[in-house]
Amino acid sequence: MENINFDSAIERLEAIVEQLESGQLTLEEALVVFEEGVKLSLYCQKELKKTDGKVSTLLKKLNGELELLEFEG
Amino acid sequence: MKDYITVGMLNAYITRLLDHDEILQNIWLKGEISGFRLYQQSGHIYFTLKDEDAAVSCVMFKSKGQNLKFKIEDGMEVLLRGNVSVFARQGKYQVYVEEIQPYGKGGLFLQMEQLKARLASEGYFELERKKEIPRMVSRVGVVSSQDGAALRDILKVLKQRHPGVAVVIAHSSVQGTEAPRELAQGVQLLNEYGELDVIIVSRGGGSLEDLMAFNSEELVYAIYESRIPVISGVGHEVDFSLCDLAADVRAATPTQAAQYAVPDYAIIQKNFASLGDRLTRFMNRILSNREERLDRIMMKKVWKEPRLLLQKKSELLEDKKKSLKKAMEKNLKEKGHQLALAIAGLDNLSPLKVMTRGYAILSKGERVVKDIHDVEIGEKLQATIANGQLQVVITGKRKVKRWKT
Repeated sequence: MENINFDSAIERLEAIVEQLESGQLTLEEALVVFEEGVKLSLYCQKELKKTDGKVSTLLKKLNGELELLEFEG
Repeated sequence: MKDYITVGMLNAYITRLLDHDEILQNIWLKGEISGFRLYQQSGHIYFTLKDEDAAVSCVMFKSKGQNLKFKIEDGMEVLLRGNVSVFARQGKYQVYVEEIQPYGKGGLFLQMEQLKARLASEGYFELERKKEIPRMVSRVGVVSSQDGAALRDILKVLKQRHPGVAVVIAHSSVQGTEAPRELAQGVQLLNEYGELDVIIVSRGGGSLEDLMAFNSEELVYAIYESRIPVISGVGHEVDFSLCDLAADVRAATPTQAAQYAVPDYAIIQKNFASLGDRLTRFMNRILSNREERLDRIMMKKVWKEPRLLLQKKSELLEDKKKSLKKAMEKNLKEKGHQLALAIAGLDNLSPLKVMTRGYAILSKGERVVKDIHDVEIGEKLQATIANGQLQVVITGKRKVKRWKT
């Protein structure tokens, strides 16, 4: 589950669902991929809720540091 | 003799006049190029700038002319800045050009076309280089003017489609001399910040001159170098910029750029939810399939009455026993017959059978007598005949010669 992002998680999840749909897995295999699928969907759910919705302006200070300021449109 | 001055003095005098004129030291001049010459050895550029009924010689030294962003050609309308001075050797004045740019729409268009051709040949617009916009975008960078209508449109659409989207703005002017550098820096700054899924480079509609900042080399390089996918949304549908060509995705307007940048969150959520449903549904189906199969097997009679299984086995055993017995009997019968035959054969060969025909076997003790030399006169011997034994005494011996068999 490391180095994963939403897109790759969704893609893997789709592949898992298709595998299950195909009905060609043994019960043991099905349980293994199902468990992975549950983990992936929990991860995706978390990602979907994660964003904070902030709008900010990015500035570079004279000392080279980056600074985020709240944007007041 | 009248007072006179030399030609050199005249030219020097006029030079001084011109050089001291403030207006002539820094003028902007518009006209059409003709007689363009680039001297390969020196690198200096010479041409005549003219309009309907006037012309002036111009020179641009290599140091000023080597970094031109477009190729000067005859017939091109240009705007140039320079100072006017005298070329003493020929006694003519000319313009020493400091900078030059294409004039008007035609000129700008030409400049853009030339730059486009060069950057294309250098591979900056290669399709293979294009990055994909991720399906799920939750962090968007925007390079645009923080006061512009474009930014307002973009923010509105982003929030509509995905209320949770985080937006990071790198402010830049979007027209004027500073704009190309600032736009490029904006892209670089957002890359330095890094935590973004996609970058939008955008401004609203405007004249070709206004949009020229989006046709700059600097911006094309910055977009080319960007690790984060870039969507370009410049001007209106009809506008086309080098920024569009360099970007990974070209949107026709700022609004469309925002649409391309983030997915419709409601749809993503719905798709995700249905994926989750399918996951559990198919797992359940797999489980219930197995369960049904197991049920079907367990329903069979044999599990309920195991005796049935034994009964079948014992029946089988009885069968086998019967057939074994049968086989044995058959075997014995055959063997008995064979024995009887053998016995009959033996009987024919028996010496008793021969004796019944009148023969006797003469024996001395245990040994059968076959040679006359084995017995002496007066010896007592046994003669066995068919129905008994006789005691005999040898009273004489005579050798008889017989044929050998």
